[in-house]
Amino acid sequence: MLAAVPSATLHGLAGRVIRVEVDVAPGLPGFTIVGLADAALQEARERVRGAIRNEGFVHPPRRITVNLAPAELRKAGASLDLAIAIGILLGSEQLRPARGRWALVGELSLGGEVRAVPGILPMVAALARRGLRRIVVPATAAAEASLVDGVELAPVATLGEAVLLLRSRRSRRVAVMAPRVELSGEGGEGAGTGHVTVAADRLGSVGPSVTCAIVPDLSEVRGQLEARRGLEIALAGGHGLAFVGPPGSGKTLLARTIPGLLPPLDDDAALEVTVVASAAGEGPLAGLIRRPPFRSPHHTISYAAMVGGGPRLSPGEVTLADHGVLFLDELPEFGRDVLESLRQPLEEGSVAIARAGRATTFPARFQLVAAMNPCPCGYAGSDGNACHCPASVVARYTDRVSGPLRDRIDLWVSMPRVPGTALIGGPEPEDSAVVRMRVRATRDRQLGRPGGRLNGRLTGRALRGACRLDRAAERRVVQLSELERMSGRGTERLLRVARTIADLAGDAAVGTGHLDEAARFRPPSLRLATAMAI
Amino acid sequence: MIGVGVPGSVSAPAPAAHRPASMERDAWAVLTSVRGLGPVGLAALLERYGSGVAILAAAAAPRGVDRLAETGREARQDGLRPRRPISPTLARSIAEATGRADRILARIRALGLDVVTVEEPEYPHRLAAVELPPHVLFVRGEIGALDPARVVAVVGTRRPTFTGRRIAARIAGSIAKAGATVVSGLAAGIDGAAHEATLQAGGTTVAVIGGGHARLYPKGHERLAEQIVARGGAVISELPPDDEPTIGTFPRRNRVISGLSDATVVVEAPARSGALITASWALEQGRECFLVPGSIVDPASAGCLSFLRENGGAARIVSGLPELLDDLGLVDHEAATAIASSASAEATLVDLGGTAERIGRALVAGYATVDELVAVTGLPVATVLAALTLLEGRGLAHDAYGRYRPGGALAMTEPGRAPQVQRP
Repeated sequence: MLAAVPSATLHGLAGRVIRVEVDVAPGLPGFTIVGLADAALQEARERVRGAIRNEGFVHPPRRITVNLAPAELRKAGASLDLAIAIGILLGSEQLRPARGRWALVGELSLGGEVRAVPGILPMVAALARRGLRRIVVPATAAAEASLVDGVELAPVATLGEAVLLLRSRRSRRVAVMAPRVELSGEGGEGAGTGHVTVAADRLGSVGPSVTCAIVPDLSEVRGQLEARRGLEIALAGGHGLAFVGPPGSGKTLLARTIPGLLPPLDDDAALEVTVVASAAGEGPLAGLIRRPPFRSPHHTISYAAMVGGGPRLSPGEVTLADHGVLFLDELPEFGRDVLESLRQPLEEGSVAIARAGRATTFPARFQLVAAMNPCPCGYAGSDGNACHCPASVVARYTDRVSGPLRDRIDLWVSMPRVPGTALIGGPEPEDSAVVRMRVRATRDRQLGRPGGRLNGRLTGRALRGACRLDRAAERRVVQLSELERMSGRGTERLLRVARTIADLAGDAAVGTGHLDEAARFRPPSLRLATAMAI
Repeated sequence: MIGVGVPGSVSAPAPAAHRPASMERDAWAVLTSVRGLGPVGLAALLERYGSGVAILAAAAAPRGVDRLAETGREARQDGLRPRRPISPTLARSIAEATGRADRILARIRALGLDVVTVEEPEYPHRLAAVELPPHVLFVRGEIGALDPARVVAVVGTRRPTFTGRRIAARIAGSIAKAGATVVSGLAAGIDGAAHEATLQAGGTTVAVIGGGHARLYPKGHERLAEQIVARGGAVISELPPDDEPTIGTFPRRNRVISGLSDATVVVEAPARSGALITASWALEQGRECFLVPGSIVDPASAGCLSFLRENGGAARIVSGLPELLDDLGLVDHEAATAIASSASAEATLVDLGGTAERIGRALVAGYATVDELVAVTGLPVATVLAALTLLEGRGLAHDAYGRYRPGGALAMTEPGRAPQVQRP
């Protein structure tokens, strides 16, 4: 007998509705899955067989054929296990559905437990968009699934529970909550037009921090006023930032305070971040993620892990850092192709991945923060430890960060080593909450301007318009760019940073003082000429 | 067949307009290009034949190779087996070089090189005074630059510390300002810093390289070499243009560096550094030798310290920049103008006014990082950063990896002898 059960898989960041057709026919006992299933899916046969037997049902000794439609779509993962098992029980007439159609999502264990899978949120959203609003989900992922509003969810812990549910006559409607937020910007590729909303009462909750569980407070960083100032400017304006300093100068510690300095995400951004986290298997999630992601991959990261891809078109670090910060410690140690791959996302805010027969675009609106030593030994310019790196080796080291990438980092901060005495005495440094308030106010000021973009993304005419330079300031720009033989791009960088400095001070126009301060954060390649001469 | 190759050079354009072409000079250039013919062998040939032209003529003559190979044999009268300075193989090489003399000379001319032989008046008289001076110098740039009134060599390790580079630059800059020529080896590290600082101070500098001119090493210093030549200095080598620099050519080069100079100053040399060979040569050649001491735990100065210990009587210590200039017999222009510069620093500061003046005073007093500047002036970070750019724009402050130093009028005196300005 033939049975058809709707389910879903994950494809990139988007859920895809899959129709699971199960034919249980007379003939030699066998179990075949067709429809471009990957290895994990082929193994579903063993999981399903075990789960059915151990839950007290009979795995029919007949010829079982499972077809996954649409046939041309490559399917991966274990999210179809539950649907296949229920299909077999229906096809072998061990179960008769009492009420209308349920969609089923979940992985099975050999013992029959239903387990959560990555991407519950986008999968449930995809089903709802197709009008399949009654969905059986793993109990452990119920909270994440309930982020999607207007669906009737049935959380189950075992295959037996799912069977009981399908046999029962009572509805288990989940209360509808209002107001709602639209689930937008998700699943760009051929997703349905139906709107899906997220329950508003979930918006307040802060999900688990994606990485970096312990965020140090800024008050733990003593000294390094120049670097603290640079960090504040970069976060306030969404600028790329690089710390350059010897080991132990506090580059990494300072970068790790960033999650505590960023204002929480707004509704749309939070939803997009949550979808990415769900698809990346960070879940099950308890609610919307309000904290901007902070990703710090190790420098041995591969190209595919940075950009995304692989057999399942998984999102890479640039996408996982969407709406947040991508922190690259020891920048020159990263592979050259890995660093070059950052150029497109930095420019366009998204990354296009094309693989044979499949192409997709992932969001990647991250802010780049990097840290590096000034030379291979790390001690160039410091007094205590002598640097023995020949100039050519230093040049080769910094050249590993190519010009185009360097151009996309607006602020470069030198961090000299802080002497031990400064770590004990000195004034009490500001804490994260104070800085976070200033960052938020400055960001609001920028978004309130026509165009509504952070200064870090301003170029050309929009940038010049926003700066509102007077005569004196214009002259200063010319002087500063001549002083350093800046390219056109270098001058734009100067203006962008100066604009944010003015915004931090609450000034409508960019003045000479702002420009002077912005010039301090130019890249070291422009400074070395003066630094090395005597 | 008489005088094969040599007359050809006479018809070619002279290498330098102000010096008449000389067949003898060309002959020496050709002989120097013979691989394996060193100063001893060439001296023996010259003793026998009297001139370079005669040697080439002899090599080109029938049975010339056999005749050349007899050089030095008849000199031994003591019955011992004579040691032959010219082996048959070497004699063949000489004959072969004679055959392509035109090409050798054309190559030298194409590279724009001048040739100076030890017999000519242009040959630097200090170098001529050492034992076995190079017979020929290949000169790129100004020949006159080799023989100025005062010459000081500044050399050191190829891998200096940051401080070492700064010291080398200060020493070279001061020597140049005092009017002396700075000689060094165009190597990476201390040598390069010395050349650069000399040029920056508007002085003349001479680079002695360890390979041929067409094999400049390190390649990254090609631009520096061009600047040295463009600013009235010279790059010289005792090796023919296409000789590779090897581990053996650098000690030979060092002997020329010390030989060209009245005194040699070594800034930073770890144990077994090549700069110490230069120092040894200086002492052997009867020149003065100064070493910049360092901390006893710093490996970058270990060579200097052990050299000072082993050559207690002869090698001298650099206890300070004015003291060094005094010992070198150079007028300390900076000390002479110290009072004036102190006044000019004060005037510059007053002229700046406002926050820039306060930051300027703090820099002169030795505060280096933004943290220190904020702490001592009490100004907000943003103001300090903006003021630093202002100072930097006027050349009054320099930034190196987040540490700031006074520059221009504010840096006229030594640290420790800060200009008499009011504290910030």
